[in-house]
Amino acid sequence: MKQMEATDYKGRVKSSWCPGCGNHAVNTALRKAMAQLNYQTHETAIVSGIGCSSRFPFFMSTYGFHSIHGRALPVAIGLKLANPQINVIAVGGDGDGLSIGGNHFIHAGRKNPNITYIMMDNEIYALTKGQCSPTSRIGTTTKCNPYAWTADRINPVLMALSFNASYVARSYSGDIKQLEEVILEGLKHKGFSFIHVISPCVQYNKVSSFEKIKELVRNLPEDHDTSDKVNAMKYAFAPEGLYTGIFYKAARPTYEERYEDVIGKAKQIAGDNYTINDVIKQFQ
Amino acid sequence: MKDLRIKISGTSGQGIISSGDILSYATARKGYYVTTYRAFPSEIRGDGKCYYTLRISEHKALTATGDTDILVCLDEDTIYEGIKTMTEGGILIYDKDTVDQLKETREDIITYALPLTTISKELGSERSRNMVALGIVVEILKNLHLEEQILKDIELRYKLKAQSIIDINKQALNAGVKYASTNIERKDKYNNAQMAASGAKLIMSGNEAIGLAALASGCRFFAGYPITPATEIMEWLAKELPKFGGKMVQCEDEIAAINYALGASYAGLKSMTATSGPGFSLMQEGLGLASMAELPVVIADVQRCGPSTGVPTKTEQSDLFAAMYGTHGDCPKIVLAPMDVADCFYQTINAFNFAEQYQVPVIILSDASLGPRRECVDLIDLEKLKIINRQKPQLKEGDVYKRYEDTQDGISPITSPGDLYGEHVVTGLEHTQSNAPTPAPEVHRQMTEKRFRKLETAAGQFSKAKTYGDETASIGIISWGSTSGPVFEAIDKAKEKGIKIQALYPRTLYPLPTEWIKDFVKNKDVVIVIEANYNAQFKSTIVERALHLNRGTEVLEFLKYDGTPFTPEEILEEIEKVNRIQEEKSAIATNKHTHF
Repeated sequence: MKQMEATDYKGRVKSSWCPGCGNHAVNTALRKAMAQLNYQTHETAIVSGIGCSSRFPFFMSTYGFHSIHGRALPVAIGLKLANPQINVIAVGGDGDGLSIGGNHFIHAGRKNPNITYIMMDNEIYALTKGQCSPTSRIGTTTKCNPYAWTADRINPVLMALSFNASYVARSYSGDIKQLEEVILEGLKHKGFSFIHVISPCVQYNKVSSFEKIKELVRNLPEDHDTSDKVNAMKYAFAPEGLYTGIFYKAARPTYEERYEDVIGKAKQIAGDNYTINDVIKQFQ
Repeated sequence: MKDLRIKISGTSGQGIISSGDILSYATARKGYYVTTYRAFPSEIRGDGKCYYTLRISEHKALTATGDTDILVCLDEDTIYEGIKTMTEGGILIYDKDTVDQLKETREDIITYALPLTTISKELGSERSRNMVALGIVVEILKNLHLEEQILKDIELRYKLKAQSIIDINKQALNAGVKYASTNIERKDKYNNAQMAASGAKLIMSGNEAIGLAALASGCRFFAGYPITPATEIMEWLAKELPKFGGKMVQCEDEIAAINYALGASYAGLKSMTATSGPGFSLMQEGLGLASMAELPVVIADVQRCGPSTGVPTKTEQSDLFAAMYGTHGDCPKIVLAPMDVADCFYQTINAFNFAEQYQVPVIILSDASLGPRRECVDLIDLEKLKIINRQKPQLKEGDVYKRYEDTQDGISPITSPGDLYGEHVVTGLEHTQSNAPTPAPEVHRQMTEKRFRKLETAAGQFSKAKTYGDETASIGIISWGSTSGPVFEAIDKAKEKGIKIQALYPRTLYPLPTEWIKDFVKNKDVVIVIEANYNAQFKSTIVERALHLNRGTEVLEFLKYDGTPFTPEEILEEIEKVNRIQEEKSAIATNKHTHF
């Protein structure tokens, strides 16, 4: 097996992200983490929906599935169930994963497939040139809401915790070291690992700039117990700022393992050498 | 006795469907032909009525419709409705414990008013009333020797439930048989009725036939969301797929279902989903993704009355527009329409073959009159089935793999994650042959043509349109899907009356079956297009497009959109009407000729 370097994962298509975009850091951090785990390109698939960050698969040399808006998770889970040997990483933005695809986020947490989901949150719809998203802050005005913003933000980390995701972390594009660490831990985690990355947009979001986010972020306390979900929720709720690091981590059977259990039970009933001709007997 | 129609009716929750199912399995297993029609309301235990019609016959019958010979009513309301459509000398069986006095009856039928509730109460379970009634029927038809087989079928049906359930059902059946043999003074004509059995056959529903064909095709992944009347497909595959290492996944919605299936297809598995109207609407965007990303997937749409929630349990053929034209953009796909239960099996085999070979979504249009309907199917020879797998490229290190290579037949060999040197990104964006997204005009033109070229390649592979009846007939019927039973039966009846008529059933509806239609109408003065929808969807899109330059053939329509399937009688009536008009026309033409 080839010993992989982070640069081996660079795709043939040139990045379309703006200079200074937070997503570059995520791409670099993911490639570094993948190299540490020696992921082979043919055994890895990056799956996305639609949006700036969802262009991610094109910038990688692995297999990739750039699907439709909001549907990265169902495609990724279908892929993983069909071939559990593949390393499956779903990526996307806040609009993709929390608005149009929000429903799938709930059920991914509940089902616990062994995939990693990296949400690059720029708090705006950027590919469509700046409209408010579910994480836009009060005070954000765009061409679609020129006078005032009218709905409160949602909290992706708190959501993931309540959906029973088995690994929940947050990081920030300005801290590539921590980003790489939480991604690496997420990839290593067996089960659904959700990584919320605050990844500022330099073009369309002046409210949540790198500078502003830098003021807000703070590391979770070193003594934070990652098995304590209630405490994790308190930090996710914290009004004093944006905590980053690993909020929660717990071992739980994965979706694929549960299906293996189903298959085991069914095969026990069917016996070995069960064929389609045996299936037909029920109709005779 | 060549033919016998039994109808079991009552309120939902009374076990109408269970007793009908058990009786249909047992008759088929005894070697008789049986075809059925089930109708039940969407409320599981509401006030809604349930009907289960079985037609048992010596030769294969095409429909379960027609007047009832034996009517079993477990409630009062269905008696008055049911007796209206009974044959002379038919038998009505009802529960005298729950009906004081019949408000209406018929002089020309035999009525057995029996204490069904009392008998079942004596057994300690009033819920076993349906099996007591079934026992009565078994004894009335004692020359068909069904009793032993039904006891076996009770065992089979409830083997995963408690032994007490099996026991009570068996006791109830025996009690019904015993009561009928000792207490009913037989006045009916079925006492000595015989029927010839015709050997081994299969009995299955349209939905099960689709599931079975999926398994036989090598499908190992199904994702779906419960919806009437398609759920049976996922339930059946949930039971069978894991036995072969496959997976049936229940998703959060139909949007997820189609995308799960596409993810699994990308991973290399033959994948499918099944749904009905509302779910099919939700799948439209995924359908377009499959077409653009060139991923094989099979979608079974078991149609029901629409639009919106419509009438979930009743039948209609009104999703044809959605199947043909659904999703935005120029979207190559294949639409197949099975004609009966056996055809559900064979068209599903075709569906997987086409999907895998041409890397397109394939839609199977079944409906509520076909999906849940159990009928006999001739034995299936698995050895004779042709199963096609997707074409894979031969790659070695250093090769530059073009996922969407523009080939002569439009088909680009496909790799899946795990395959060495085959890395690529599939996308719903327009892309180059090397899967890089691009808005370049020449690329969009070229790749659109490439995707559609696959359908041209496929065109020669579709199963021939089915014809039925007299090929010299000048009156034709063109129709599709589940109407075939009543249409063919009406053609047989018309023949007895000396009316020549021929029907055409294309099984591939998209790409358009233009050549078959053109060929069919060559010797036809008039064709009647028969379909179960208001908009004449098949006529207005497919038939009229095929015949737009043909002024020699008149195209009529005969539509039904009340949720019930066509009956042979109403089609025969239409045939006779058209035949009369044609005769009058030719008489006028002849008269004109003599005047000159």
